[in-house]
Amino acid sequence: MSELDRRDFLKVFGAGTAAAGTGCYRYSDLPEKLIPYVIQPEEITPGLPVLYASTCQECPAACGLHVRTREGRPIKLEGNPEHPVNHGSLCARGQAGLGRAYHPGRYKSPMRRGVGGDFSAVSWEAATSELAQELDAAAGRVAVLGGITGPTLSKLIDSWLEAVGGRTRVVYEPFAHEALRAAAQAVFGVESRPIFDLQGADLVVDFGANSLATWISPVEHAQQVMEARDASGSDGREMRLVYVGPRQDETASSADEWLPARPGTEGVLALGLARVALDAARSEGRTPGGDPELLARVLAPFDAASVATSTGVSAQAIRRLGRAMLSAGNAVALPPGVALSSRRAMATNAAVLLLDAVVGAVGRGVQLPPVGSQPRVDDFRDVVKLIDAMKSGDVKVLVIHDSNPLYSLPADAGFADALAKVDFVVSTASLPDETSQRAHLVLPDHSAIESWGDAEPRPGVRSVVQPTLRPLYDTQALGDTLLASARATRGGGAGLPGGSFRGVLEAAFAAEGLDWNEALAHGGVFDVQRFEAQLPVSASVERLEFAEPHFEGEGSHVLLPVPSTLLSDGRGASLPWLQETPDPITKIAWQSWAEISSRSAEQLGVGPGDVISIETTYGTLELPVWPRGAIRDDVVAVAIGQGHTVGRYASLSEDGTPGGARGVNVNDALPALTDESGGRAWLTARARLRATGEHQRLPFTQGTDNKRGRLLGESISLAALASGKNPFGANEGLPASSAHGGGGEQGAPNGDASGHADAHHEGPHEMRRHYDPADDSTDEDPYRWGMTIDVDRCTGCSACVVACAVENNVPQLGEESVIRNRQMSWLRIERYVGEGFQELETGRPGPKNHEELGNTDVRNSPMLCQQCGAAPCEPVCPVIATYHTASGLNAMVYNRCIGTRYCSNNCPYKVRRFNWFDYQIEGWPEPMPLMLNPDVTVRGQGVMEKCTFCVQRIQANRLQAKSEGRALGDETQTACQQTCPTDAIVFGNLKDPGSRASELAAKNEGRAYHALHVLNTRPGITYLAKVDRRGAARDHAASPAQAGRGVTADTRSHPLGVAAGKERA
Amino acid sequence: MTPPPAESVAGMIRPAEIPRDSQANRDLLGVMDGVSLGYFGVLALAVGAMLCAGGVWIYQVYKGLGIAGYAHPIFWGVYIVTFVFWVGIAHAGTLISAILYLFRAKWRNAINRSAEAMTVFAVLTAAQFLGIHVGRIWKSYFILPYPNQRGLWINFKSPLLWDTFAIGTYATISIVFFYVGLVPDLAIARDRATGWRKVLYTVLSLGWQGTSRQWKAHNRSVLHLSGLATPLVLSVHSVVSWDFAMSIVPGWHATIFGPYFVAGAIFSGFAMVLTVMIPVRRIYGLERYITSYHFENMSRFILLTSLIVGYAYLSEYFIAWYGGVEAEQTAFWSRAFGPYWISTWVMILCNAVFPQILWWKKARTHVPTLFILSVLINIGMWFERYVIIISGLSREYVPAVWGVYTPSWPELLIVMGSFGFFCQFFLIFLKLFPVIAIAEIKELEIHARAHGEGH
Repeated sequence: MSELDRRDFLKVFGAGTAAAGTGCYRYSDLPEKLIPYVIQPEEITPGLPVLYASTCQECPAACGLHVRTREGRPIKLEGNPEHPVNHGSLCARGQAGLGRAYHPGRYKSPMRRGVGGDFSAVSWEAATSELAQELDAAAGRVAVLGGITGPTLSKLIDSWLEAVGGRTRVVYEPFAHEALRAAAQAVFGVESRPIFDLQGADLVVDFGANSLATWISPVEHAQQVMEARDASGSDGREMRLVYVGPRQDETASSADEWLPARPGTEGVLALGLARVALDAARSEGRTPGGDPELLARVLAPFDAASVATSTGVSAQAIRRLGRAMLSAGNAVALPPGVALSSRRAMATNAAVLLLDAVVGAVGRGVQLPPVGSQPRVDDFRDVVKLIDAMKSGDVKVLVIHDSNPLYSLPADAGFADALAKVDFVVSTASLPDETSQRAHLVLPDHSAIESWGDAEPRPGVRSVVQPTLRPLYDTQALGDTLLASARATRGGGAGLPGGSFRGVLEAAFAAEGLDWNEALAHGGVFDVQRFEAQLPVSASVERLEFAEPHFEGEGSHVLLPVPSTLLSDGRGASLPWLQETPDPITKIAWQSWAEISSRSAEQLGVGPGDVISIETTYGTLELPVWPRGAIRDDVVAVAIGQGHTVGRYASLSEDGTPGGARGVNVNDALPALTDESGGRAWLTARARLRATGEHQRLPFTQGTDNKRGRLLGESISLAALASGKNPFGANEGLPASSAHGGGGEQGAPNGDASGHADAHHEGPHEMRRHYDPADDSTDEDPYRWGMTIDVDRCTGCSACVVACAVENNVPQLGEESVIRNRQMSWLRIERYVGEGFQELETGRPGPKNHEELGNTDVRNSPMLCQQCGAAPCEPVCPVIATYHTASGLNAMVYNRCIGTRYCSNNCPYKVRRFNWFDYQIEGWPEPMPLMLNPDVTVRGQGVMEKCTFCVQRIQANRLQAKSEGRALGDETQTACQQTCPTDAIVFGNLKDPGSRASELAAKNEGRAYHALHVLNTRPGITYLAKVDRRGAARDHAASPAQAGRGVTADTRSHPLGVAAGKERA
Repeated sequence: MTPPPAESVAGMIRPAEIPRDSQANRDLLGVMDGVSLGYFGVLALAVGAMLCAGGVWIYQVYKGLGIAGYAHPIFWGVYIVTFVFWVGIAHAGTLISAILYLFRAKWRNAINRSAEAMTVFAVLTAAQFLGIHVGRIWKSYFILPYPNQRGLWINFKSPLLWDTFAIGTYATISIVFFYVGLVPDLAIARDRATGWRKVLYTVLSLGWQGTSRQWKAHNRSVLHLSGLATPLVLSVHSVVSWDFAMSIVPGWHATIFGPYFVAGAIFSGFAMVLTVMIPVRRIYGLERYITSYHFENMSRFILLTSLIVGYAYLSEYFIAWYGGVEAEQTAFWSRAFGPYWISTWVMILCNAVFPQILWWKKARTHVPTLFILSVLINIGMWFERYVIIISGLSREYVPAVWGVYTPSWPELLIVMGSFGFFCQFFLIFLKLFPVIAIAEIKELEIHARAHGEGH
């Protein structure tokens, strides 16, 4: 061996080490250069978020937004607290809306379909001139088909159509609630689409609207309902929520009483209730709602007994509820939503409005604004007319915007054939969908956060949409596309405004005398109007024919197409956040399923995941079944929204090309039928069910709905609540012997718990020990972060789940991962049915469903890291990657984690998630990394992750408070809390008795508990049990003598039952 | 009875009585001579399995632990199962060498060498799984208490850390013990070896001459090492059991876990000695050295530990019922009748029921029966850990997130590979070192001749 001197050795050794180090460097895909601003924009301070007010475009409810941007990049959507629709909250769809801009499947430029059917990119100039030529050639045979847009854009579309000589414009919304408008006309004789204001209501009867989740303005309604029945309310006026419908949905789960009437008979039931109320009112000498003779004539055939026969609801219940509605101070009945829109939807809606009139809700809970001031929506009949025109060749150029009719129209409508007859189809879709795949020219619109626009969901609410992101791709706003194309035609766009769409928008505001800058600063101009005129029932109501609907075809079941809470009419299907968030009721993600009753499943011999075929006269669906206890035996429910064949995430195709369908599209088995008013009828078909013998592994995220009596998702009866004694053993007022020193056992070892079995066997939980959560941070630290979560307010809507994912860079991984239980969500909503019982499942069946028809004992319990004071996860980590902070959080140091996963095994709440693969890269396809929150580490392969109460927000506020020399108050809102429509989650400092979280827990001490308290983990989250108001309702029903006693002062404030309890006591 | 002091043995050895190439030397060193095709075939199989597992492991490091079958909430799978299994196997060696040495059980001599070798190899195999199991192997040095400028330190409260130290200590002691016992035999091998073997044995035998001074030092060190190793036999698996017992997982959190695991470990260790030594005895004609006397004694140990393990099973169920904790009851009910019922019943049959045939002397001395039984016990003991770990995690406190875990193919390949890893070492050991302690056998023979006793 040749001589190697010391210096050479060191050189070689150093070089070798460096080479080895370089070779081992894994994350070479990560950016290596960060470019600072050359000229820093005035309003941007690196590291601090800038908020812009805007408007959510995910549904026509038009909630106000605050777009949170960092260094010029929108990273999170939050509700605008000033906005009169949503008051700062958003639903899951709103939260996920941000992802549209960063969707990896977006059209990146105008696309032209070649002869072979392949799309190729073209320039905007070429595309615009081609469209202009086609418009010229069409000689006026131009039509526009699209969804609801803001008033300014809507006007622009109208003038564009005029400028190019076009004839037809159809504003098509799959869920347009057409019957409601027609019903208002029929009942009150005015043109109006009613607004339902549940503020201060004390009895709400929801006739299948699912008002808490999918109806007209779900965020607003959920807010109002939960505010109205706030169990901690001081005025003693607690609302009762009654649900009528064949299937237990979100609203039924939160309701105090559920009447599973036969589908299609909701209107008859409403009339039965109206008749009871009217009779009671007349016996008191009152005449609410209009001409009593007229009402009596209309309601005469609907006596309780015959209504009971046709609806399947007991006459006793009808009498009780009818009287309760009348005696309530402020009762509101909500007409059915999409799911129950039968061919007699108008009559059904009218019946419910009639009931509203009789119980005096008109002008209060039901307001009737003039229709001219509301966004234009056309009837389904108009869509059918357009289809006929297309078929006959009367449409040469068809522009389709903001809608996907090929997916959302029933196959039976023949839209696909009609589309083939149109010479030139233009789509302005931003994401590839079924319809845009059939277009000749795709002129991609900006995504919502790149656009200008406005919205006017109701009179007086003029909301503005402003861009917060420079368009990522070569896209163009629809307004500008229209302007440019019209200008390129021979007509030169005469009659159209000059400039860009933004100019048009500003001009529109100026013309109406609205302050543009104010509007931008506040998200709009809000002059909320109330329509308190108590319109009497019009004589035209007599012309209505109230009868049960006829269902087409044959079969033992009625097909109930349900709007999906997360995917809506299908527009949410392209957003992975909505796909991966489990359905609030069945907890299934990424798939379609058919809900049938457990009894039907038994008869068919199928279990969860077994594929059945649903045959209607119009088509056949094959999909896995999900048997439930809480659905009528004569109904098969399928959620609308899945079954896309185009689009990343929406379909099984990875790129934009058509691929396999994800789930099934229920429209494929539905007819194109309308109700009396011309609106689309959904509840139309009977179905034959057949087991196919196949099985599909369903991606469901909840093992069982049986909580087995464990201290999770608790519920408390009104009587127990009134007694003031906490049955959960979490608070004071416990036997002194078990109160055990009043806290202060900081860091008590877990094993300690077993040594203190309580001698007082009063409840199911043997260990009761008082502790002061404030002891779980260091003495010097003024904070102990914690939460108070009100299970009574949680509707399960899952907005928090999506908000958490967007805020904390939680990747969405797809169906396969969910099947393997590897979804990464830090926050889940557990749905338990009843107290649970000792019943064990053997073998490996799918989870058994414990629901019952008519039973509303469902507890939605958000489960996230409890930030335990004596956290079981902390002592087991060998490298101290998870540890206790001075402020009482269980922090997680991702860089220190080596992935032994012991912490998760030892976490009784199972809220930790592990990076099984390199989700840092795989979870975020381009351009999705642009929406990552820079304040939150993106976790790499092999580390554990979990909720830390949005510690980045706490830290930012803490620094702010420190620089201002003050203590931190309640200004920090975690992402889940911020978005919660019902204010069920309250975060705060447990060491400060004045913080909202502490106050709420103290005020509701009688129903406060800590999850799995028996383990003595000293959680930082206090849950407030769901208040079970069912007992009171049943008591009331069980004592007909008392029900017959008529109205008392007490029942006025507690229409459904508290009064009964009081009288008994 | 006490063995003769070393001096007296040395005094008894006279060249005329003991031929230089004794029967023992020829038989036992003969095992090391020559390699058959069959040997190569088995070795190739073992190395192949190991290399295959190595490939899968590299893929796992590159791709992520997701290629294993883990599913929330079951975060530990067959890697930890197999880890505990191998740690258990590692118990027989030290028990035989140390505790039985201290108790002067002379039947140990025939099996102690191979049992010690098994111990070393099993500990090495087990240690692999600590690395295979973690999410970030490239950061796993964080678990060592090395000084650093960032003030990072390890968590001495964590049972996983105790585990690291327990395994490390046990591996060290086992290797030293194994080697010290080997030195006199290496000298014998040195004296008749040629070529590279000569060099190897010369270096390894540390200049052993068999002088009484050396024998005295040797015996003393073996005695001291036995004293050191004895508590380790009890502590290592107790510490491993604390990985589970110190947690709050229903089905894990039990005070009997220490003795329960130690008994199980000895149980499985003896079974593995049988599984390995029965074929070796047959193939290499060692019937003269490993006799029914040895089998019977081992069988008795197996029967005793089987009863302890069976008692532990019963006691777990009794406490679950008697304790009245619903989560605990559910976990145990689910263990017997839930998704993992097959594993549970395999475990109970193999570990608590089948070994009961050893009450009959016929079974205790019938070699084929013992072989089949030992294999069944190995299977049963693997499933015991599977049942404890997986079924415990699958039915925890929050029913909403109950889950089911199924091992994936990559995982099972790595488990297979661990057997290859172990076998490969053992096969090489067979050809490199005397499989039975020659010096100790001779000692016994001399002793027997001197006192007219047979063993």
